[in-house]
Amino acid sequence: MSAAALDSLATIEKSPGYWSGVMRRFRRDPVAMLALAIILGLVLMAIFAPWIAPNDPYRGQMLRRLRPMGTPGFPLGTDELGRDMLTRLIYGARLSLLMGVTPVIIAFFIGSAIGIAAGYVGGWLNTVLMRTVDVFFAFPSVLLAIALSGALGAGIFNGLLSLTIVFVPPIARIAESVTTAVRKIEYVEAARASGASSFTIVRVHVLGNVIGPIFVYATGLISVSLILASGLSFLGLGVKPPEPEWGLMLNTLRNAIYVQPWVAALPGAMIFITSISFNLLSDGLRSAMDLKA
Amino acid sequence: MNASAPIPRPPKPLLTVTGLTKHFALKGGLFGQSRGVVRAVDDISFEVGEGETLGIVGESGCGKSTTARLLVDLISPDSGDIQLGGKLVGSELPIRELRRQVQMVFQDSYASLNPRLTMEDAISFGPMVNGMARNAAVRLAHDLLARVGLEPRRFAGRYPHELSGGQRQRVNIARALAFSPKVVVLDEAVSALDKSVEAQVLNLLTDLKAELGLTYVFISHDLNVVRYMSDRVMVMYLGQVAEVGPVDAIYGAPAHPYSRALLAAMPSMDPDRRTMEAPLAGDPPNPINPPPGCRFHTRCRFADAVCSMSDPGLYTMGTPGHLAACHLHIPASGHKAAELAA
Repeated sequence: MSAAALDSLATIEKSPGYWSGVMRRFRRDPVAMLALAIILGLVLMAIFAPWIAPNDPYRGQMLRRLRPMGTPGFPLGTDELGRDMLTRLIYGARLSLLMGVTPVIIAFFIGSAIGIAAGYVGGWLNTVLMRTVDVFFAFPSVLLAIALSGALGAGIFNGLLSLTIVFVPPIARIAESVTTAVRKIEYVEAARASGASSFTIVRVHVLGNVIGPIFVYATGLISVSLILASGLSFLGLGVKPPEPEWGLMLNTLRNAIYVQPWVAALPGAMIFITSISFNLLSDGLRSAMDLKA
Repeated sequence: MNASAPIPRPPKPLLTVTGLTKHFALKGGLFGQSRGVVRAVDDISFEVGEGETLGIVGESGCGKSTTARLLVDLISPDSGDIQLGGKLVGSELPIRELRRQVQMVFQDSYASLNPRLTMEDAISFGPMVNGMARNAAVRLAHDLLARVGLEPRRFAGRYPHELSGGQRQRVNIARALAFSPKVVVLDEAVSALDKSVEAQVLNLLTDLKAELGLTYVFISHDLNVVRYMSDRVMVMYLGQVAEVGPVDAIYGAPAHPYSRALLAAMPSMDPDRRTMEAPLAGDPPNPINPPPGCRFHTRCRFADAVCSMSDPGLYTMGTPGHLAACHLHIPASGHKAAELAA
């Protein structure tokens, strides 16, 4: 028998795995692919900003303030200090994407760890962890972000820190609820009956089944993070001038809204395009992962 | 409460359960106060002989599945002992060893398999956790797939959603066998399958038992299937044993009114002996507050004053090893009909 089994190892028929199925469905979704293309474009733009940008983002000239779009040499006009809008929008992608994506990535790891531990172990650990999370969850996220940033002081690092704290509770709650549901399914019981340790069961049987929904939820939070980060900068709690950041640019240009409304609205348009792309990406992932047997 | 009284032993008991009890506390309110206790399994004792099949039957909620989960230590009992091969589980025999030697197959074949694992990974997980090298475990998985009638070359790399219910249940059986267990607890393992597939899986189980010298605890609500599979049958009612005995005694001469009612509810294949009246009315009483005395007296046609006052306990009937918990059959129990019989 075992010789036959050894023989069968070589010619075994492999089914495509779950994740390759997800990728296949995702690639067939035109909206999600467009969103992904836009996001990749923005990331490339942020990385190669010094090579793409036509001008210096910090140098302005009082003589050419608030030029309209289409001015020769300044295709998207200039801001209230005469700096090139196109250049600043390109450079702005760096800080805005950093502020939008980083807190969600860090919160994804911390929140998943808290939620999976609470959901799998249950009992008093669940009560302690989840009620603590609920305390933070009770505040509206905007208010919490403002309060934390205000208490910690302005700056990029403090902004990132406060946004991370804002996003840990919702991710932990999603992680907890999917883990609690998975823990009660028979294959986890069967794994427990095999005498495997909790750590092994979580690694082999729980993680693969809960990480998808948590990941989809987290990608949906990126757009929120982006808007909150911009909001913090707008309020003067995040990035400080003269750094180019979309939220901050929106703030400093708001006085010019009657003079050059189109130029003043450009940073908002960038925030809108970026956040809606992340949302559509998240939706695409969600439907690609919705596996029906 | 003498349900835990010693029972005449089958030739060589492999699994001995004594006074097994599991109550679930119902918690409610803001601070989780106890609002009552569900007596899911209440002081039951039984034995399973080596190489035999013990069938467990009863209505929904009678404690069949809780008993199964207690046997493989998925939940821990409030009180009572389990002995495996004469060794007391927990002290003489470590829990880990119990889990290796007593394996379980669940009803829902789809939920029993991790949707992200291939069949060979699902089967080899247990042996690997217990220290087998990956190559050896995969080879064992292929052997077991072949043994349960699934060609390894075609099925080892498949995922659960690509298999039919019968095929999945074969994989679940293979996974249980990967531990070389002595006892396999089959909790409604064939109940969700089509009749034709069910018959194939039952035949597979019978073959495996003969081949590997297995002992089964076969839980089902299907009385025909239990009769086909079992050497002995245990009838449970509201967390207690109503009657236990050899399959012929239970099906031929059921002593407990509940067993009689259950068997009378079995659809007959003979048109001259069709079921004419509903044998048992109503639902079982709430296990949160089980009736005092004999738990069946609220639905029993023969109930007498004594039945609501004292718990009869298991009493030996005519055939050796055939026990029933009914005042009707206990001389001088105080039951009118019992007095007449005595």
